[in-house]
Amino acid sequence: MPCKSSAAGVTCNVNGDQEVKKVAVVGHVDHGKSTLLGRLLLDSGRVPDDKIEHVTKICADKSLQFEPAFLFDALEEEQEQGISIDTTRVNFEFDGHKLVLIDAPGHLEFLKNMTSGVSEATVGILVVDCHQGVQSQTERHLKILSVLGIETVVVALNKIDQVDYAQEVFEEVSAKVRQTVMQLQLTCEDVVPISALLGENITTPSDKMQWYTGKPLVPRVIEVLQSGGKSNYAQQPLRMLLQDVYRFNGQRHFVGRIESGILRAGDEIFFSPSGKISTVEAIERLPQRNASEALPGDSIALRLSEQIFVERGEVISLPDNVPVVDTEFRARIAWLSKQRFSPDLDYTIKLGTNESTCKIRFFDEQEHDKWSATCENLDNGEFADVVIRLSKQMAFDRTKLGCSTERFVICTTYETVAAGTVDNRPVRAHKEMKATPNLRREGGFVQRALYEERIGHRGTVLWLTGLSGAGKSTLARAIESRLFERGCNVVVLDGDNLRMGLCADLGFSPEERSENIRRISHSAKLFLERGFIVITACISPYSRDRELAREVVGADDLQEVFVFCPMEECQRRDPKGLYSKASAGQVRAVTGVDSPYQPPQKPALRLDSSKLTVEQEVAAVLDLLAVNGVLPPQNTARDTVARSSPDAAVKSGQSAR
Amino acid sequence: MREYLDTLENESVFIIREAYNKTKNLAVLWSMGKDSTVMLHLVRKAFLGNCPLPLVHIDTTYKIPEMITWRDRFVKEHNLRLIVGKNEAALAAGMNPTLGRLTCCGALKTQALLDTVSANKIQGLLVGIRRDEEGSRGKERVVSPRPDSGAWTYKEQPAEIWHHYNLHVPESVHLRVHPLLHWTEMDVWEYIRRENLDIMPLYFAQNGKRYRSLGCHPCTGTIESVASNVDEIIEELRSTRTTERAGRAQDKVDTYAMQKLRSGGYM
Repeated sequence: MPCKSSAAGVTCNVNGDQEVKKVAVVGHVDHGKSTLLGRLLLDSGRVPDDKIEHVTKICADKSLQFEPAFLFDALEEEQEQGISIDTTRVNFEFDGHKLVLIDAPGHLEFLKNMTSGVSEATVGILVVDCHQGVQSQTERHLKILSVLGIETVVVALNKIDQVDYAQEVFEEVSAKVRQTVMQLQLTCEDVVPISALLGENITTPSDKMQWYTGKPLVPRVIEVLQSGGKSNYAQQPLRMLLQDVYRFNGQRHFVGRIESGILRAGDEIFFSPSGKISTVEAIERLPQRNASEALPGDSIALRLSEQIFVERGEVISLPDNVPVVDTEFRARIAWLSKQRFSPDLDYTIKLGTNESTCKIRFFDEQEHDKWSATCENLDNGEFADVVIRLSKQMAFDRTKLGCSTERFVICTTYETVAAGTVDNRPVRAHKEMKATPNLRREGGFVQRALYEERIGHRGTVLWLTGLSGAGKSTLARAIESRLFERGCNVVVLDGDNLRMGLCADLGFSPEERSENIRRISHSAKLFLERGFIVITACISPYSRDRELAREVVGADDLQEVFVFCPMEECQRRDPKGLYSKASAGQVRAVTGVDSPYQPPQKPALRLDSSKLTVEQEVAAVLDLLAVNGVLPPQNTARDTVARSSPDAAVKSGQSAR
Repeated sequence: MREYLDTLENESVFIIREAYNKTKNLAVLWSMGKDSTVMLHLVRKAFLGNCPLPLVHIDTTYKIPEMITWRDRFVKEHNLRLIVGKNEAALAAGMNPTLGRLTCCGALKTQALLDTVSANKIQGLLVGIRRDEEGSRGKERVVSPRPDSGAWTYKEQPAEIWHHYNLHVPESVHLRVHPLLHWTEMDVWEYIRRENLDIMPLYFAQNGKRYRSLGCHPCTGTIESVASNVDEIIEELRSTRTTERAGRAQDKVDTYAMQKLRSGGYM
């Protein structure tokens, strides 16, 4: 290392909240963005004398008054025309807080520069001239903030000195601005009257506006930054972007950045979209080779306990909260190129560290809102609600938490042409019940109770869950045949069989597994309504999917049966040859190998198939049905084998309640 | 809680790793100054203590002699691969600052750099410039594509949104990657102190003078200072009333001198 000593050096003496907060200053041309920044910079007393002399001389040469904006708008063309062409960042300290204020050019022509700068911000200051109120770029800039996921705005109502600090003007204009901000689904935290030119009400209260009781602009913005819930990425689910895999001295290092959540050494981690799974042996961040945890923003390297093959583009999460993996999503985009959108073109999307080619389709929304451009006019500075169709599966989030797994850019070969955020509404809207006036539930069919009365037993759903090879199908067959002998109405919904028909279009990504479970749940419900005892036999690895099934079927009618079997035993049985294919690398996303299994926390019954015979298992299930009143009591008297089974092998959730 | 310097370091390491993944023949432009030495340290952090990238030094032959001695010692001590670039033709023809400072910078720095980039097929060059150094650098992107001519089209820079840098460019274009763009002069010194870095001694005051910014001896002046170690430099910077590059003569040739130099491909 180019250090004199390899030990960590002296710690820099910083106090308080040292996180640098980035604030975007946006608004219409000439409403005073650069003047505000120049004023802040001058008032901070941090501008070097020779810099002030330099700007004084330029202004004198141009016969201008001293122009604070020239402190940072330093390009000749900017000073010639008195405009900002590109963004600048001004470092600013106030009351122990470090801020970076990002000045955004107001001209439509420079929109991509404006977007580039403000994309880093967490809060926006919208500068509005109190004479002119909301103008075209005011609204456009607000929309850009919204697309970038910056949803909190403080309005600085500028040039209040030019209306003699009149409260009526402030009240009238601020009401209109608030309304505009709200219509665009952004939060307007406050409206603060200021004079950027004269420095009124910016850092300290102004005695010219006794009627204004709120805080001055800068303290108010700091207050908003501190309460900003979105920036608290540590409390969100873990997301780490995999940038690269390095090999040094025979050791592999998986490098990337934590975007949200906290990663700890020893954590089991899940890779999306590949579905692989491994465990963090060590978190490496120089100079410590073994950090115990990593926080959002940390650029780290991981050593893994199990050696797996993954590449740049994966999103790392914990197995219990994984991102969505799919080939399409809805999004809102801002078009930032003079090159118009073309529906025929293949674009490249960059999301996280992953890339894919994609097609962009306009979302056919019946209710036209003020957001959507049409295909023909999607041009520089326009917005649209679209569906992005990817040419491969990608991992993303649609939680609207402002994480980088929700943000993307669209590129042509060498140019970034649009920025967007994933919409939280799914593409296939039919999955959720649509409130449409033409659809209503038909009634008047034969009641479930009548079916049950005729058959002589109640309907129920026995939801078998467990690893592949644990014995779900075997048990399902045995229960079916026993109940059939008794004259019961029984049906088995076997996961593998359904995947050959009803669910033939589904793969094994977390999202497709969810869809699989959703279809099985609704099928089970149809049989249940006719008084059947339904036995489902599918892995159903995610607890949230099983919860969904419980919701669809109804909590009282679903008995969760956990068919447990140790992994080694499942691999030894390997009835479908799945595990040997997985270890040969021929199949991916195998539950328990490189795709997670979340065991039920409170199953109605837990059966250890490595210790019990099928007979014993069936007896335990029949017991459960009797206890729950599904089968009439006399039917269970003969099935007492369960009572003699080893305690540890059968655990009844019912008796524990 | 994470320190402010860690935040800066994390961002820089992320940028370096992105550039390394996406470019062929990435190299570190190293002037031996404080910024590029910090950048080199960050490269080592990004690669877990290793330096898989070559260093490029553009030697104008007008460098302060101590710089070259220090350079060779440092390279040897840290076992680095160094590529030295020189505009031999211009030097043979007698190029020097009396022919015009900007002309000299253009030939011995800009042209030498472009020649070195193309001779070594370098597609990406890590450059340790910072936004707070001077006005035109304040307008830079983290990743700035430069065609054959090296030209910086500051009026038409590509969009750079979130961390999606423009690292995909045609073969004839090289990339300037700026991992320290968001750092300030004070940040650099505080980081040097925290990481206890080996820094060129010319920055430390001797006989009441020190260099605040290093360059070629005909065009680089010292400042009055008694700051003889890193702590004292940090103290000095807290109360300084002058800009960092006040001692750099080429900046002063005309009002927009740096903009002109840099739009031609200067670092």
